[in-house]
Amino acid sequence: MRLQSKLILFSAATKVIILLVLVMVLPPLINRIALHSTDQRLLEKKEQVFDIIEVRGIESFLSDSEEEAYGSYNLLKEEFISMEPIDPSLINNRIENTLRKVENEIVEYRVLSLAFELHGETYLLEIGRSLDTIRETSNTLQRYAMYFLFSVVLLTVFMDLAFVKVLLRPLALIVRKLQRIAHPEAFKPSPLATNTSDFVYLNDTINNMMGQVQEAFRKEKDFIGNVSHELLTPVSILQNRLENLMATPDLPDEALLKLVESQKTLHRLKSIIQALLLISRIENEQYLKNEQVSLNTLVNDVVNEISDRAELRGVTITVSVPDDFVLPNANYSLLFTMLFNVVNNAIKYNKEGGSIQISGEVRAGKYELSVCDTGTGIAADQLPKIFSRFKRTHAPDSESHGLGLAIVQTVAKFHKIKLHVESELGKGTCFKFAFKKVNASLI
Amino acid sequence: MHVLIVEDEVSLANELSHFLTQEHYLCDWAFTGREASEKIAVNRYDFILLDLGLPDYEGLDLLRETRELEYQPAIIVLTARGALEDRIEGLGLGADDYLPKPFSLLELQARMQAIVRRKFQVNSNVLEFRGILLDSVARTVTYQGQNISLTKKEFDLLHYMLLHRKRILTRLQLTEHIWGNILEDNYDSNYIDVHIKNLRKKLSEYIPNDWLETVRGVGYRLTA
Repeated sequence: MRLQSKLILFSAATKVIILLVLVMVLPPLINRIALHSTDQRLLEKKEQVFDIIEVRGIESFLSDSEEEAYGSYNLLKEEFISMEPIDPSLINNRIENTLRKVENEIVEYRVLSLAFELHGETYLLEIGRSLDTIRETSNTLQRYAMYFLFSVVLLTVFMDLAFVKVLLRPLALIVRKLQRIAHPEAFKPSPLATNTSDFVYLNDTINNMMGQVQEAFRKEKDFIGNVSHELLTPVSILQNRLENLMATPDLPDEALLKLVESQKTLHRLKSIIQALLLISRIENEQYLKNEQVSLNTLVNDVVNEISDRAELRGVTITVSVPDDFVLPNANYSLLFTMLFNVVNNAIKYNKEGGSIQISGEVRAGKYELSVCDTGTGIAADQLPKIFSRFKRTHAPDSESHGLGLAIVQTVAKFHKIKLHVESELGKGTCFKFAFKKVNASLI
Repeated sequence: MHVLIVEDEVSLANELSHFLTQEHYLCDWAFTGREASEKIAVNRYDFILLDLGLPDYEGLDLLRETRELEYQPAIIVLTARGALEDRIEGLGLGADDYLPKPFSLLELQARMQAIVRRKFQVNSNVLEFRGILLDSVARTVTYQGQNISLTKKEFDLLHYMLLHRKRILTRLQLTEHIWGNILEDNYDSNYIDVHIKNLRKKLSEYIPNDWLETVRGVGYRLTA
């Protein structure tokens, strides 16, 4: 999952959780607040009543008779106030919810009960407020609070989304740049337009590391190229000296045989050097691609060159190239070397009386050339290694240097040919070369 | 034939000179570009074997100098550099042949003989062996007027053996001559044996089978 999605999901999730908690906590909380404010109000009212008593005397409430209680409701029975003399033994000051019957209607009230003494008499003052009114207020309050919270959550999630997107843009750029690199050589260091120091650091580090990787690659290529090149002269001297030695008159047979063996060893050394040089030169783009190569011609040339070897091993080669394909910018001799090595392997590792099928055809808009044999095949775990230099997946064979397939791969890469190998142990191997999109005019 | 060897590697020049002297060429050496430049101005050579990688001289300049001489020696460029051929051809300095290092001395001699025939028309194009005539230009082999049909590889093998008829040719040398320009993974002497076998069979219809001697474990030699 992408970092951006994770951050957004996380922020949204935490906000939803906070919202849920608030939804659960809010009603009792608001209720309490509403009750509290009601209680405050009742206490204030009490003070007002006391003020009135002080100014006008209790008579203004209990005017006519001493026994008569005072009671007053407002029209909608939201509030009431009552006062009556009581027995001092019944004093019970409190604020509580109680049910009162008012004009044949039972209403729940929040009631403040307070006893006070005046002129030797004890009075009970009760001030009440309808709980329905309180609940109504608290419900309205709750509703608006919910609306507010919900929109805040929504708004902040969207803001987070936009912010995270902007914030992580440099990271997305870095990731995209890394995805485009097929080979370290293709990497070009570039500065990153951001003021987030972490990303600047990341980008600089990647640039720096890729620079080191490129340098290592270049050094390795140069090294192989230079070493191989420097080895050519001593090998040259040895080869010529051996040839001169072999022409010495009256050479004992034993010495001659040793010289022949030395010649073979030297030949092997020479082949390794030449193969390494070839690979190095291709990788350093020292070969031209200025020829038009018809695959039909190429296949036929290779088969003509190699058919005697196939005959010797009793292997039949069948060629079926119904559609031709012309590579516009190619190097014939490199392509020849590539195909020759593949077909040569197909002969070498084939069984007696086996066969090789070379076919070229347009498949799914691409031209595919395949070389399939009925040979020993390659084990699945060996398959990824066959193109590595000096890797010999087949039985040890003193005359093979293990660079043939490395050459094949390098030439294919040089021509942007996709190389794919399928193999089944004991059944055979298929080398498939997929060429770029078929240009109809070239067929 | 007068040959100038321009080569800064003394050992290599020694081997070249040793071989060519045995093959009755008259050899002269130049170890530096300056020396070579002086020598070609003073002497007349038939052949210049030119190593282009000289420390003191731009090899291509030397090639240009030889091309500006009033006489035209045959030039074989011996090089360890890659893709140099293209550059030389691109500059219109065309050498007569190119031989990448490491090369076989026998290969060098074969190339020199080909140039001699082509350029100086000294020798005829036809090589004779026990009544068999091989025309290297027309690429035909005949015996008393009868055409002997050979494959390309059989012809090349016979031609090569006729050029070096006194020597033992190892299987490797023959292989290198036939497949030397193809870089492949392995060396298998069986392939050469098959072609030799076929060649023997074809020629045995015309001449006694003892024309080719098999040197056990080594290779082949023509018998006079």
